Amino acid sequence: MHAIQQQYWAVRDYLSPVLRESKFKEHGRITPEEFVAAGDFLAYKFPVWSWERGDASKARDYLPADKQYLVTRGVPCLRRATALAYTDADEDAERLLSFGDLSSTGNEADEWVETHTGRSTAHDSAANPGEIHEIPDADADDAAGDGGVAGAMGGLSLGDKGVSVGDIPDMDDIPDMEEEDLEADEDEATAAPAASAAGSGGLEPCDVEVAKGNLLQVRTYDVMITYDKYYQTPRIWLIGYDENRTPLTPAQIFQDVSADHAFKTVTIEPFPHSATLQAASVHPCKHASVMKKVIERMNQGVIEEQQARKAAGGAPAQKDKRGKWLFRRASGNGKDDKAGTPSEEDVEGMRVDFYLVVFLKFIASIVPTIEVDSTTAF
Amino acid sequence: MPIVQFAPLSSLVEPAFWHALTDLKIDVLRLDDAAVPLTASYAAGRSVTDRETGRAISLGCNLSLGGEAFRPRLQLPPHSVPVAGVFKNFNTIEDFKAADKTALVNAVTDEIWKSIVGERSTAQLSRFLLITFADLKKYKYYYWFAFPAFVAKPAWEIDGEWKAADAEFNEATLETIQKELHTNPRPFFLVRTSSGKPELAPVEEYDTFFANVPEEQHTVAFLDPSAAPANPGWPLRNLLAFLRALHPAATARVRVLCWRDTEPPAAPGGWKSRFGVLHQGAEGLLAEKPAAVGWEKNVQGKLAPRMADLAPMMDPTRLADQAV
Repeated sequence: MHAIQQQYWAVRDYLSPVLRESKFKEHGRITPEEFVAAGDFLAYKFPVWSWERGDASKARDYLPADKQYLVTRGVPCLRRATALAYTDADEDAERLLSFGDLSSTGNEADEWVETHTGRSTAHDSAANPGEIHEIPDADADDAAGDGGVAGAMGGLSLGDKGVSVGDIPDMDDIPDMEEEDLEADEDEATAAPAASAAGSGGLEPCDVEVAKGNLLQVRTYDVMITYDKYYQTPRIWLIGYDENRTPLTPAQIFQDVSADHAFKTVTIEPFPHSATLQAASVHPCKHASVMKKVIERMNQGVIEEQQARKAAGGAPAQKDKRGKWLFRRASGNGKDDKAGTPSEEDVEGMRVDFYLVVFLKFIASIVPTIEVDSTTAF
Repeated sequence: MPIVQFAPLSSLVEPAFWHALTDLKIDVLRLDDAAVPLTASYAAGRSVTDRETGRAISLGCNLSLGGEAFRPRLQLPPHSVPVAGVFKNFNTIEDFKAADKTALVNAVTDEIWKSIVGERSTAQLSRFLLITFADLKKYKYYYWFAFPAFVAKPAWEIDGEWKAADAEFNEATLETIQKELHTNPRPFFLVRTSSGKPELAPVEEYDTFFANVPEEQHTVAFLDPSAAPANPGWPLRNLLAFLRALHPAATARVRVLCWRDTEPPAAPGGWKSRFGVLHQGAEGLLAEKPAAVGWEKNVQGKLAPRMADLAPMMDPTRLADQAV
């Protein structure tokens, strides 16, 4: 059934026409050219993003051959979305992001709940002690892997003869090989995982665990943005790795997706620029309408600002201001204080170059713990 | 004097690599288990600020291997440097277990040593080894990396401790280095400041570049994949071995810059690079190939292979199960 559905999607994608006309302000959709422009801007402003050409046989002819999709690697994800346990105390941190005031549809479905806005260090050990046990891994491999973190921290017990059986079932009798002679048990110059605690400024992930009594599993994600021809919006794809750099299973990836969206808007699908790769993706069916509302809001602010500036005469420190806005997410406070976006000189409203920057902020609400919105992290 | 401890490289294998390996195994290698060259890459170490605690958390010291690793001219991630390696796939798990790993890693260290004393080149300093067994039917990949690093005897020690780079260099110098590496990433380089202006050069030009420069202005720098404040990354080990082997007189004491700033700092003075002065006793000269370490440990911290189980992301039946 799923295979048929995917075939259907592929055919539909093939048949749907390439959007030619720029209408991003009207309905939030963009043309491939605008996708490239916005991607160029994103990659220029935040060099962690870069263009990829992907599998040549899967190249889309409406995009330049060397600009098929955007990718950023190693995006940190410090906590699980499921670990952001939702308690009554968090209710005041919850805000309805109503975009309805501009479009005045009055439709509830147009509102997005932004949670954890004012969250600080509150949710530690006591609140949700059993976090680590919630990982619903069926297979013993991963369970052993989790225990292994402690083992790894316990020291450099290289002399241990028995390799843990649970780890690699088919290889339970790997001999402890002669490399031991060459190896690190006497190598005083190898930084042990635990030894690096000595530093003052930064901490290794495992130290944070110990310090807080709460397992902080730093996962990393490779995030890709493709252009979806059918929905005429960008589409986001995720490939995750756990703290041991083992690829995440779908179930593990869904832990990083806010509960409202897991299994509904986020699914595992074949990545369009590879023949075989599967990745988690946020389904783009609602992207255009949400983007439209965000853009309308921002555009209003941009125009007002530009007019004000024109009236005042001169364009003071424009570059500075833009930088400030782009780096503002530090507060974690959402979208409705973004109104003051300075942009280009003329009163033309928001430029399409900002599309992907805005898009990332929207995606950040779906995957709250993955720092896809890299505008502050680096 | 504390001994310098280096943060080992850890492998980060993108799922795309396992797909590429599957194709290579089925379409090209078949039962051939000859060694194949491949290319990985690393970039400057990164740390993130935990928004909830405000503390900096170092991300791993990673060597990443992507889906294009087998291609001769691959497109590297931005700001990364390529690392050449040797890949060897075994056809059965028994072969994989029984492989003479000492001999394999020795072959790699021989090549590194030859490139040092023979070619006097830094191009092969971070050469690595990857051995695999691919259980294609079960989508399981057993793999073991080795990142050979020569052991310095006696060990390197540091004067005082690692400090921020901007405590040693002025802003202009750091900005120059940042700009230079931004356009042209390189794994190892030399820095000198002649008449106030910083200059960079490849390590191969050590003699000429430092010819008329006072010793306290010699700086050896490398792109540091580690982000831990007190631990320089693994590539520095072989760079130091290189310096000791080729420039023994000048390198009993080395000023080292661990370059970690891919981007200019957001706030003034926020440079993440580290600086330290390392020294080694005169008896640390290298006449012949020193011993090497560097097999990657598994998740339990033991010397054993790792396994990537991609069944959840590759097995069609399991993918169908979770699809809605």
